[in-house]
Amino acid sequence: MSSLFDLAGTFAPELVLLAGALLVFLLDVLKLRRLELVGSVSVGASLLALALVVADLGFAPFASLRTLSAAQVNPSLSALATPLWTFTSLGLVFQGMFLLATLLVSVASLSRGSKETGGPIFFGLLLLATLGMLLVAISSDLIFLLLAIELSSIATYVLVGYTRRGLRPLEAAMKFYIIGAVSSALSFFGASLLFGAYGTTNLLAIREVAGTVGTPILALLGYAFLLSGLAFKATLVPFHAWAVDVYDGAPSDVSAFLAGGTKKVGIFAVLLVFLGPILFAGAGGSSNPFQGGPFTLGPILQVTLGTLAVVTMTVGNVLALLQKEMKRLLAYSSISQAGYMLLGVTIGTAPAIAGATFQVLAHVLMKGGAFLVVAGVAGLGIGPLVDDWRGLGSRRPLLSVAFALLLLSLAGVPLTIGFVSKFVLFSAAVQAQGFFVWLAVAGLLNSALSVFYYARVLKVIYFEAPPAPLPTGGAVVGGAGPEPLRAGGLGIGRAVAIGVATALVVALGVDPQPLLGPIQAAASHFVFFWR
Amino acid sequence: MLPLLSLVLATLFVGTLATFLAGSRARWVALVVSSAFLAEVALLFADFTGWPGYSAQLVPGFSEGESYAWLHLSWLQINYTVGVDGISLVLILLTAILQIATVLYSWKEAKKPNAYFGLLLLTCLGSFGVFVALDILLFFLFWEAVLVPMFFLIGFWGGPRRRYAALKFFIYTHVASIVMLFGLLAVVFYSGSTSLDFSAVYLAARGLAPVVQTLLFLALFFGFAVKFPVVPFHTWLPDAHVEAPTGGSVLLAGLLLKLGGYGLIRWGVELLPIGFAHDRSILFAIAFLTIVWGSVVSLSQRDLKRLVAYSSINHMGIVLLAIALNSSLGLLAAVLLMFAHGIVSGLLFMTAGSVHHTFGTRDLPAVGGITPRTPALSTMVMVGSLASLGLPALIGFPAEFTALLATWDGLRYLVFIPLVILVVTAAFYLWMMQRLLFGPVRGVPDGAHDIPWYEGAGMGILVILTVLFGILPSLLTNVIVSSPIRGFPGP
Repeated sequence: MSSLFDLAGTFAPELVLLAGALLVFLLDVLKLRRLELVGSVSVGASLLALALVVADLGFAPFASLRTLSAAQVNPSLSALATPLWTFTSLGLVFQGMFLLATLLVSVASLSRGSKETGGPIFFGLLLLATLGMLLVAISSDLIFLLLAIELSSIATYVLVGYTRRGLRPLEAAMKFYIIGAVSSALSFFGASLLFGAYGTTNLLAIREVAGTVGTPILALLGYAFLLSGLAFKATLVPFHAWAVDVYDGAPSDVSAFLAGGTKKVGIFAVLLVFLGPILFAGAGGSSNPFQGGPFTLGPILQVTLGTLAVVTMTVGNVLALLQKEMKRLLAYSSISQAGYMLLGVTIGTAPAIAGATFQVLAHVLMKGGAFLVVAGVAGLGIGPLVDDWRGLGSRRPLLSVAFALLLLSLAGVPLTIGFVSKFVLFSAAVQAQGFFVWLAVAGLLNSALSVFYYARVLKVIYFEAPPAPLPTGGAVVGGAGPEPLRAGGLGIGRAVAIGVATALVVALGVDPQPLLGPIQAAASHFVFFWR
Repeated sequence: MLPLLSLVLATLFVGTLATFLAGSRARWVALVVSSAFLAEVALLFADFTGWPGYSAQLVPGFSEGESYAWLHLSWLQINYTVGVDGISLVLILLTAILQIATVLYSWKEAKKPNAYFGLLLLTCLGSFGVFVALDILLFFLFWEAVLVPMFFLIGFWGGPRRRYAALKFFIYTHVASIVMLFGLLAVVFYSGSTSLDFSAVYLAARGLAPVVQTLLFLALFFGFAVKFPVVPFHTWLPDAHVEAPTGGSVLLAGLLLKLGGYGLIRWGVELLPIGFAHDRSILFAIAFLTIVWGSVVSLSQRDLKRLVAYSSINHMGIVLLAIALNSSLGLLAAVLLMFAHGIVSGLLFMTAGSVHHTFGTRDLPAVGGITPRTPALSTMVMVGSLASLGLPALIGFPAEFTALLATWDGLRYLVFIPLVILVVTAAFYLWMMQRLLFGPVRGVPDGAHDIPWYEGAGMGILVILTVLFGILPSLLTNVIVSSPIRGFPGP
């Protein structure tokens, strides 16, 4: 890795995003703040980066594995010879999914209206947050991993409150910032404990030395703190409380990005950090580096993660049942979905990781799409309550069909991507046998439970009459037809983004093989690499 | 060769969508779709009887086989696999006949006709799918796809207690289908099959230990028994039937109950023959209980629809008995009985609906002596009742005769239980006809007219077929016996 050119090729998607973000800020300085202009830069940058990632995956699906250390990048840093970055095909798949979320949100945000003033801030920070997410997917060192998470987190703190309109976004941003800072501190503390136990923060090196050096109790503490920190990012119960307020308070487009994109960073980080210990959980004997001494780290972590997964999906689903506001309902459903993803990570076999990855992809499309619909519907003058959506089916048929399909997919109805992802995930759990079969049963019961609140929304949209206009001046206005919706449509960008998300949800539900095949290959490759 | 089965599925799918979107012209769309469906099924029959060719197709043991990869995981393959044999083909014919008859009968449905006809078509689409699906997941999808439209048909177009009936129907059958799905998946996982295809699971399940087969068969049997329904699990049926609109009742009795029988044959007995052989005594006990119970309870019914519903339970008991005999003659009888019951109960539910439209009540003591005023309706009632009690030259006769013959073959003198019950059945139908059709005139309003043309057309189709297949049952039996025997007779 000598020439700068090679280096640029390796980090091409990241560099494209960085350049895009800088260009947006430059345009801001030059007072070229038109939303369409800066938005196009964001769309273009994320599209180009996505194309680069897909090309990388497509041309060399299995040869893409390579590690890269700071010393290789800059010979004067010869002390840092352990690989900071590991390019696995699964990491590239995750990069692709992150970019897909960014792309959907960017395209949708093009139609926010010309009154919007914060365009450059929004799109610039969106690109920077995505950059951080991409770096997470290729990191193989705890410190670098946590720094990359930090980059995406700080950008999103600002994104939540950037409109400075009203108190709710500000409150959400403040809450997000404080919780985020605490969780980062927890993660870094955990990493420092692991450094104390193993003498390194490099994940590949930890795997090598874990059996011979280190104190298991210190390592266990380190993993516990690290898990708490990452659990905040991935919105796992009981570290989830912030997510609902933040998704609710943030502008809906930002919520789409947070739920559809950023939280998967936490899932992938948990996968990266804990896969090594989990993979060794099954293998006994003295050769198992994670089973030295009185503490068998692997099983402890696996049971902890499994419990967290079940608690997360159950609490998310039960609380979603009780919600009256659409965004809060979607936020809780998003929390429960994080539980499904964690289930796959917990099992740690290649099929289960493939299932979790497919679930992430499904969630990007379903939840991203759903929040974009919510943003669009708010623009039509419909209130935040679920009941405010009454009769939308007859007033906005196309939009309602799209939303219904997204919800059906979230509920796991066959012929949508949500069914496929859950099927892959749960059958992988059954295939792993033992304790995991019960995780599958818990997951199945939970998806049955979730049907109730999605069905309630569908009932409100399709089977209830639109709200009548308020009586004015003591007399009911004659005709008593439904209150007219605000004029104007969704805007082309938002319509395109919702349409693409919905179409993909259905298309991948009908024929998942084109993406499921590569994802399975990437997952087995990933497990093979970490073993 | 044409991918006929996929073509039919596509026709029904597009047709259902078009019907939902068609607004007030929905009935015409539904009629066109039903006619196309019937034509395609005729083509299917011609193709099947002309070139049965079981030897060289994509799906072993089935005709018209098609198989495409759908979801290939590293440890499990799920395909879109469809195919027919004689058993499913006869039931597909039943689906097509009942669909067009129901559409015609419900011609003037006024309440949201597009949704009504769309849901009718969707039910038939699901049933057709169940009969052709040869992959566990595909089968389950169609199985559930039948449930949802029927739930809405009862819940929106039903009688006064429709919500209760719809919910009860949904909960009973849904719990049963979940048990069935888990049973089927357990068969897959225990047998170590790497594919959900029928033929793969069929082969892999040969290796299962008898104890495992016995237990798994019970789970599957429970799943199908609720749909059947047999006696301890039957209570949803009278409620659902009484509250459902006529079209819904027809499809419920004519098609949905057949799903239970078909499922038991294809996914129960054929998949786990050893388990079936071990559990036969339970099946016999339940079958006799169902036969006796259904028939005796029918005697005490005042509501015409409820009477037909209980007689359905009685007939499905005979179907279960015929299956449990574990002989190829019993299998033939079971399929023939299902077809006959589909046609005849469809006809009887239509007449019950017409009685209700014409006289405003189905309460037997309240109406009587209707023949002079409504001769056409009376004829239909009479044909349906006589066919149901097994009069020769009508379709009920060959079916019940074969069933009794097979019972004699397998159980000897126990045949007297269904035989005596047959007399009871004849008694309650004759008594019903005497009260409703002939006796003194009661409760006939002055303005009562005979049935309108569309109701007559719907029932007429079924009457003609009742006579046709009653005289020429070989049209069906030749098709049924051409199926390769899997699981029958067992060890």
